[in-house]
Formats: sequence, structure tokens, C-alpha cells
Amino acid sequence: MPEHSFPVDETGGIPVVRAPEEVDVTNANGLRAALLEAAARGHGRYVVDMSQTTFCDTAGIHALVSAHKRAQAGGGDIRLVITGAAVRRIFAITGLDEVIPHAASLDEALAQTSRG
Amino acid sequence: MTIADQALVQARLRSIQSITDAALSRLDDHDVLAELLERTREILRADTAAVLLLDMASGQLVATAAAGLEEEVRQGVRIPLGRGFAGRIAAERRPVILDRVDGTTVVNPILWDKGIQSMAGAPMVASGQVIGVLHVGSQTPRKFTPSDVELLQLAADRAALALQSITAQADRAAAEALQRSLVPSALPLVPGTDMAARYVPGSGGVGGDWYDVFPLPTGEVGVVIGDVAGSGLAAAVIMGRMRSVLRAYALESSDPAEVLGKLSRKMEHFEPDALATVLYGILSPGLDRMSVSLAGHFPPVLARPGQPAELAAVRPGPMIGLGSRTLRPTATLPVPRGALLCFYTDGLIERPGQVIDDGLDRLCRSVRVQPAEAACATVMGAMAEDEPSRDDTALLIIVRDEEEDGPDA
Repeated sequence: MPEHSFPVDETGGIPVVRAPEEVDVTNANGLRAALLEAAARGHGRYVVDMSQTTFCDTAGIHALVSAHKRAQAGGGDIRLVITGAAVRRIFAITGLDEVIPHAASLDEALAQTSRG
Repeated sequence: MTIADQALVQARLRSIQSITDAALSRLDDHDVLAELLERTREILRADTAAVLLLDMASGQLVATAAAGLEEEVRQGVRIPLGRGFAGRIAAERRPVILDRVDGTTVVNPILWDKGIQSMAGAPMVASGQVIGVLHVGSQTPRKFTPSDVELLQLAADRAALALQSITAQADRAAAEALQRSLVPSALPLVPGTDMAARYVPGSGGVGGDWYDVFPLPTGEVGVVIGDVAGSGLAAAVIMGRMRSVLRAYALESSDPAEVLGKLSRKMEHFEPDALATVLYGILSPGLDRMSVSLAGHFPPVLARPGQPAELAAVRPGPMIGLGSRTLRPTATLPVPRGALLCFYTDGLIERPGQVIDDGLDRLCRSVRVQPAEAACATVMGAMAEDEPSRDDTALLIIVRDEEEDGPDA
């Protein structure tokens, strides 16, 4: 098992990955592991809470895209919570904002995920 | 424990240690493993010793080296993680002793065909990850003791470290060779322009950054800069494929967005795990304008004579590999005489904890109209930090000549 330090909580039965303040090449594998764990617990339906994240580089983007593709292939759904300007910016530059569903708050993301 | 016993344990420990100290200075992982297995077999007085390495892609343990059990390697034995003796050791990350070898305890028939009666195995762990399993076997019934297992674990630990460092070195060397062959330091001569470029591997080794400049049959000039996600050999291989595919599509279309769209479709189908940002620009035959399309890449910086440099206004389009069918926008940038265009990858502007816009601002302030080589030096000087960037960095600068000696003169 790869080691990771990102907690996977559960709210109303939906797994929620809490992304760290900074996601970069040094901890992207940890994030990957947390995303896999959440996918397993939520059968492909889960939320990635990036509201605390102020920096996300391409390694982080790669982890999120892989998770999104896995979820889609398995009929699941991941939803991101994005509140910070820096994360929104990298998502806009890479075109991710049009591809991965995202919400402005955790409550909104949870509501969208449970509605399915 | 008697003094003689302690001396024996010390001698065995030293013997294990000597294996990998010598091994670490060597390059060939198969030599290292062969020596390690011989020594382990000798020290533990076992009949067989084998190393199975975990193949991350398939989740299977692959027989990689063996002493007294060569069939395992010749037949390419694969054990699924979690199954059988070796699979259990890897999944549970702890040593296992087997006093009975048959179909209920091991998956691999070679082991019981060989008449192995007892086995002991230990996980090979490097950087917190299981990378394989080292096991020994005895053809006569035998109880492996806790002290045997301790020695075996020590050998496995050292082997894991040695292998990790060797694999990393070999991968790095191959990736560097590939990168050198694909990202040429010499750019083509395009009359009317002055070009220069830099490629700097990240502190984690080379990655998937590349740039490419090629004249097209139409008299146009194709300009590419891209960054394949990931690092090392895997990223460099994908980069090589993307570079050739993009060149092929560049011959078919003068619309950068169309070329990127085709590139994306091809990559998504044949390399579904690949992810990359790419900028593709086409410089007009008269060199006076460039049409640019972005696939998740940063826009170029444009410096016109007498004006501060600025980020070119090109709307972003989705990265290659996202599976998006969104049409990428193409922007046409006027390139006046003497203007300088700067293309770069994220390694140049991204620093942990820094907002991207700060990096982009810093880059714009460092770019000004000057000869391409000097501009590269200025930009690298201004952007390099005391800490080397983790990510690799590519920079390409094209300056349109001020004098009228271009092809449109």
C-alpha cells in the first residue's frame, strides 16, 4: 500500500478527499492514493474538496484527471470543490474547468453528487 | 546466545551488508541480483533463492532473478498481488514462513515440482513502496528461524535500495538519451528570424518537455512547445510519440487548432493515460503573423520593439488527453519586425507556494527585445531560483529580424 496522509472523510455516505494546501510533484502520489481509496469506498462517486488548496501544479492536475477518467469509465462521478483563485486559474489554463464537474462549496458538491 | 553464536550472526550480517555495498557501485541490475541471490542462498544455507519484482502496471509479481530456481525466470512466472506465497508477502508487507509447500500455499507449480519443502520470504520495500519479494527455499524439510527471517529481511531491504537506485539511474540515462535525440539543441535556420532555446532537466531528472521548430512545405514555419505529464523514461517516450504525431498532422493542416484536435484524438485513443499541455503556432511565410492554439498550455509572451512584453491574448483550450471535444480557439498574433516571441513550459514559472500569475508577471518583466541567445540567458537568469526547479524547463525564443532581409523583403 502506498503511504499517504490525506484524509478521506465521509459525509452522508459520500467519500470526501481533503486535498492539502499545496499539491505538487512531492505529494501528488499521496493524493492519487487518497483518490483511489475514495473511489473504492464510494464506488466511483466522491468529492474532492480543494477549498484549502492554494497551489496545484501539473502533477496534481494529472492525478485529478486520471481519477476523473477512471470514474467516468466505471460509470462513477467525481466532483471538485474549488474556491481559490489560484486553483481556478490553473483549471482555466488547462481547460479542466470544462471537463471535470466542480462546485463552489462542499455542500453544493455533496448535493450534486447525491442527486447523481 | 553464546559468544560464538553472536560472532556467527555478526559475520552473517556483515556478509549481507557487503553484498549491496559492492552492488550499489555497479550498474547492471541483473548482475546485482544474481550476486545477491547467490550470497543470500549461501548465508541462509538454502537451496533456492528468487526475486520477484512488482510490475506496477499489471499488479503482478514477475520472477526476475533466481538461483537454483532458474525455470521461474525462464518461464516468466507472474504471481498476482495477494495470491500465493509471494503475493501474500507483498500485499501484507511482512515476512512469511512456509513449512508446507503445495497447491494450497503456493500458486507457482514450479516450487512444488522442484521438491521444495520449506520457504521463507520477505518484502522488498523502497521509499515506503513494496517493489518486490525475496524468497528462499529448502528441498529438505526445515524450520526457518526468526533469525533467518531477520537476515532475509535485511537482504531484501538492501536489495530494494540497490535496485531502486540502479533502476532510477538506468531510467534516467535512457530518458536523457531520448530527450537529447528529440529536443535538438540546434534549431533549423529560418531566414528572417533569430532563434535560441534552452532545456534544463528538473531536480527529479528529465521529463516530458519538448520544443520543435520545422519549416512547412507551404513556406510557413511550425512552432511547438509541450509538456507531457510525469517524468523520467515514461514521459520521454510519450513525448517522442507526440512530437512525431504532431509533425505528421502539421503537414495536413494550416490551422493549429485542427492539428491539436487531431493530436488529442490520436493520443486519447492510443495512449489513454497520457496527458500533456501543448502550444502549436504557425508562423506565416512572411513572418508577420503567427496563428496560435493552446491545449492547456501557457500563452506565449510577446515583446514588440519599444513596448513592455505581455502575455499574448490567446484563449485557453483543453489539455491533450482530457477527452474533451471542445474546439480549441486559434488566435492570430501580429508579429511586427524586431518583435520577440517567448515560448516556455511550466517549470520556468511554477514554484511551490507561488501563484502562477506571479511567475507569469516575473517572466513578462524579464522578456525584452534583444537577440535570441541573449534573451534566453536573461530569462533563465531572471527566472532561476536558488532551489532548482523540480520540474524540467524548456524555453524557446524567436526574434523576427528588424532589417528587411526576410523572405518577404
